[in-house]
Parts: sequence; structure tokens; C-alpha cells
Amino acid sequence: MIIFALLLFTFQVRQTDIVVVTTFGRPARTETEPGLKFKWPYPIQKITRFDKRVQNFEDDFEETLTRDNYNLLAMVYVGWTIANPSNFFNSFPTGRPETAHPALKGLIRSAKNSAVGRHTFSDFISTDARQLKFVEIEQEMLTSIKDDALKRYGIGLEFLGIKKLGLPESVTQKVFDRMTAERQREVERLKAEGEAAAMRIRSKADADRDAILAQAEAKATEIRGQADAKAAESFAAFKQNPELAVFLLKLNALEQSLKTRSTLILDEGTPPFDLLKGQSVQGGAQGTAPQSTGSANR
Amino acid sequence: MGEIMSDKHDHPHDHHDHDHDHKHGEVKLPAKEKPAPAPEPAADRAVEDAGTQALSDALRSSFAIVKVLMVVLVLAFLGSGIFTVSSQERAMILRFGKPVGVGADQLLGPGLHWSWPAPVDEVVRIPITTSQLVRSTAGWYATTPEAEASGSEPGPNASLTPGADGYTITSDGNIIHVRAEMRYRVVDPLQYELSFTASSNILVNILDEALFFASSQFTVDQALTSDRVGFKEKILNRVRQRVEDLKLGITVDQPDIRVIPPRQTKTAFDNALAAEIERRKALDDARSYSGRILSTAEGEANSVINAGQTDKVRLEQGIASEAQYYKDQLPHYRDNPGLFMARVQSDVLGRVMTNTTKWFIPQPAAGKQREFRVLFNRDPEKPVAPQDQEQQPPQNR
Repeated sequence: MIIFALLLFTFQVRQTDIVVVTTFGRPARTETEPGLKFKWPYPIQKITRFDKRVQNFEDDFEETLTRDNYNLLAMVYVGWTIANPSNFFNSFPTGRPETAHPALKGLIRSAKNSAVGRHTFSDFISTDARQLKFVEIEQEMLTSIKDDALKRYGIGLEFLGIKKLGLPESVTQKVFDRMTAERQREVERLKAEGEAAAMRIRSKADADRDAILAQAEAKATEIRGQADAKAAESFAAFKQNPELAVFLLKLNALEQSLKTRSTLILDEGTPPFDLLKGQSVQGGAQGTAPQSTGSANR
Repeated sequence: MGEIMSDKHDHPHDHHDHDHDHKHGEVKLPAKEKPAPAPEPAADRAVEDAGTQALSDALRSSFAIVKVLMVVLVLAFLGSGIFTVSSQERAMILRFGKPVGVGADQLLGPGLHWSWPAPVDEVVRIPITTSQLVRSTAGWYATTPEAEASGSEPGPNASLTPGADGYTITSDGNIIHVRAEMRYRVVDPLQYELSFTASSNILVNILDEALFFASSQFTVDQALTSDRVGFKEKILNRVRQRVEDLKLGITVDQPDIRVIPPRQTKTAFDNALAAEIERRKALDDARSYSGRILSTAEGEANSVINAGQTDKVRLEQGIASEAQYYKDQLPHYRDNPGLFMARVQSDVLGRVMTNTTKWFIPQPAAGKQREFRVLFNRDPEKPVAPQDQEQQPPQNR
């Protein structure tokens, strides 16, 4: 009996619900807080439940015209709630969210058309982030219908975003043609650029090699110069008796030059071979250097 | 009044030790019998007593069964409120629609819990640790996973049909196909469950939007090749920002994003890719050449410097040793210059002439001028053993 009475006189408001209580069909009050609530039994009072959570809605993918007369297809999504249950109930008495969709669609279409119509095509796409108005356009659409949706239908628009953008079918084909042509140009550019860059690298490498070798030669010359300078210091000792020094240096040079296999073509009188002619070492004491008339190394 | 009260008072005392049913029977029987003027036979009374007793017993046992059943039902009713929460979910109890607890206490962790059975309480379970997947195909051409898996996708039409074929528009006004798969986890179960009717649908929309948003800022080359990472980052950042702004109560993982040029332009893009590969190869070859010759040049340079160094050492040491030799010999020279020079010269000639081939030019007859001709072959001679050569006469003189 108690249970039966409870069922007749009470109802639950779930955390996610809003309930509109009507007395003989007229909205009497709205219950937004969850819990167990009182009501007069049917048919005096009747309750209608609404989901108060954010609902998702997507409109149609439709053509609109940009300010610079480009046909652009756009589809947006919105998150909406029942912000004013009484208003919403008056507009959509069944409480089913889908009954609000046509109204939402109408609102969004007009917002979309007017927002897109205020912007050029380049506002939707740009490499420069400062020029891109993608987010601003979304915001404009939302702002333009937010108040209207609340006043007319009790619908609160929480967020709006562009879900899809597109071009008319015939335009896509032209875009493909352009893309193909661009790729062709790209192929040529890449080829030319590659060859030029490779050439630059090679010639720079050649120049660098020459520079490295030239520097090395210079360094080697410098080192040799240092050696010559140091040798000059040693040569100072030879000043004591230049005649002996020259004689010894000549002998040294002769010895060095004949280290490898050589052929000497000599005059018979060249000492010490003049001995072969039975002559004495006459004049040898004066010490003349070998008088070769020619020599050839092989 | 006093009698009635007295009667009423006495009545329970008389039957205090008896069962209620039995007591009732015994009390009623005399009352029913009172109007009867004549007393009934004893046999009839005995039969009636037995029937009453049987009825009384039957009723008693029925009540006992009903009591047990009631207890069982109550236990079953209360027991039906026991529920478990797994480690991959959280639960909340709505009592008459209102969450039990405040703030984070509303959430019940893993384990055994109890709630009043319906309609008092309602248990709402929210999956949290299992990541869930959303897909965006708003930027992809019309296909099915089956056709894609089997490789039997129909070829592309000349153009893309709005509504059926998805694509995004790049910042340079070109078209690309983009699709994304993204995993998400619930981090705020209350927000996720109580604030949105279909969070995953909203997330798909956010992902769709992010694909178009990112495409609108990247050129086709950037999105496809040169800045793929930046493109994907832009998508992820946009999704995360929107999820944060809308307070969806979820966290998203790195999406798996695929970007391709339109199939209608595939050949052109393949050619460009091949050209790019060629360009890189040409550059790699050039760099390789550069590395090689520079490395060789470094080696040669070292060699040249080392040669210089060697020459330096040789020259310095050679001169030093000559100077020393000179110093050592100077006293001997000063003793007798002629003899010294002849001795030294003979020593040197003795050494150097050992390895040389010697040809002597005879003195010409008196009055004749000495003539000496040398003719070298253009063709090089075949090398011969030195001793053989010593024996051979010169071919040309």
C-alpha cells in the first residue's frame, strides 16, 4: 500500500535529467535537482523528462557561398543542452532530443550561410596562422545563433565546430589537374635543383681540395725554409776555410749523385784513371775533381 | 464497563500458554455452542476437534513456510543489491536519481559493494582504464575496411563526390585524404558520464575538425612529406585543446594518422617522389665525392707536410753532420791541403765508381778533333741483368 502510494505521489529526478511537471497539461514547475520529488497522481499532474546533458548534433554538408563567390561545402557540429526547460517543453513537448533537430538545422544553416558569406575563401585556408580565420568563423557562427536558440527554443549551444569542408564536385577535378601540373613542375624543379646542388658540392670539394693541398705545400715549404735557415747557421762553420768546404761539398754531391747505377763517360786523362795510361799521379797532389765529360743515370 | 474490562483482562490469561490458533478455536467453540439448547453427542465433538486440530496444524505449517519464504525473499531482495566493480571501471550509486556521496567520494573503486535494489538505487558503471577507439574518416575517400583489406577497392572516379568521398583542403588550395584513429581513456568518470550523452561522438567530431583545421594551415607538400610530424602535432594539439575546453573528462593518446594524395594524382605524386629520391641520390653522391676527395686531399696534405718535415730533418742533420765532418777534417787539411784533398777525393771516387759503368773516350789521333756521339733509342731497351749489360757493347755511340 505504501509502495503503491509512493509510486503514485512521487517521482525520481535522475542526475542527468530535468523534469517538467504539468498540471492538467500546463507546465507547473521544473525539477532540475536530482532526488525524490512529490507530485499529484495522474491525471492531475504529469511529468516529462529531458536529458540535461550535452547532446551532439551535426548538420548537413551543404554548399554556401564565400564573400569572393567561391562555392564551399561546409558541415558543422554543435553541442547543445536544454538550457530553459519550459521554453524547450513549449517548443518540443515530447522531450525527445531529436524533435529539436530540424529547428537546430535551420538555425545552423542560416548562421553558416551568413558567417561563410562574410569571409573569403582564403580565410578558411592559409599557411599564415595570423591570416587563418578558421576558429573565428566557428566562433562567429556560434555567437550568431546562441541567443536566438535560447530565446526561441530554450536550447543552449555549448560549442560549435566545423566538421567538414569541401569543394563542389566539378571543382575537385580541376584541382586534380592543377595538382598534376604542379607535380610536373616539381619534378623539373627537383631535377634542376638536384643537379645544381650536386655540382656546387663537387666544385666546392675540388676547390677545398686544392686549397688544402696548396696550404700543405706552403706549410712544407715553410718547414723546408726553417731547415734552410737552420742549415745556414751550420754553414757558418765553413767560413773558416771556404776552399775545403767547397771541396767537401762537391765530393758529397758527387757521391750522392752516383749512388744509383750510373754510366760515366770519361776522358782517359781523368784521374785516377790516368794511371791506366801508365802515368804517375802527377799533379794529383793538387787534387782536381774528376773531369767527366758526361754522365747518365739509368 | 468494569466487567468488560475484567473479561478482556482475563481472557488472555486463561490461554496464556496456548497457541494463538488453538486459543482461538477453544474460545470460539463454547461461544458457538452457547445458543444450542441441547448438548451434542461426545462422538461428534471428538470428530470436530480432530478436524479443527488438522486445520490448525495445516495453517501453522503454512504460516511457517510463508515466514521462511518471506525471510528468503527479504534476503534475496537485499542480496540483489550486492555488486562488484572491476579494476577497469568505477561505479556510482544514484539514490532516487541523486548521486550518493560528494565529489570524488561518489565514485566506488574496485571491489564488492552494496546498494539498495531498484527503484531506490541505481548503479552506474563507467569504464575508465580500457582505452577506447574513435576513428575519423571525414577526410577519406569512400571505401570499406573489407574492400581495403582485400585490396579490391574500386578505382578512383575523375572527381570526388561530396558526401561520399571525404578529403581535406590544404592551405595551398589542394586536396589530400587524411584519416585518423585515436585512443582515449576516461580520467573524470563523473564528467564523462553525467555531462555528455555521447562523448565518443563528440570526440569524433573534434577529431574531424582537427583534420580540417590542420590541413588548412599546411601545404600539400608539408602535410605529405616535408612536415608530416608538424602536421600530426597540429592535429593532436587541436584535439587536446578542444577536449580540454569542453571538459570531456578524457585524455587522448597520440593519434594514428594517415595522409595520402588524391588517388587521381597518384602517378604525378609518384613521379615527384621519384624525382625527389633522384635529387637526394645526386646530392648524396656529390657529398660522398666531396668527402672522398677531401679525405684524400687531407691525406695528401699530410704526406706533403711530412715530406717537408723529413726534408727538414734530413737537411738539418745532413748539414750538421757535414759541418761536424768539416770541423773534424779542417786540422788535417791545414796540415797538408794537397795531400788531404787527394786522399779524400780518391776515397770518394773509389766508392762511387764501384757502381758505375765507365766508358773511356780515347785520345784522337794528332791533329784530329775529338768527336763523341750519343744516340738514344726512342724505344726503351728491354731490361737486362746488370752483369750482362756490363758485357754488352753500347748499341749506338
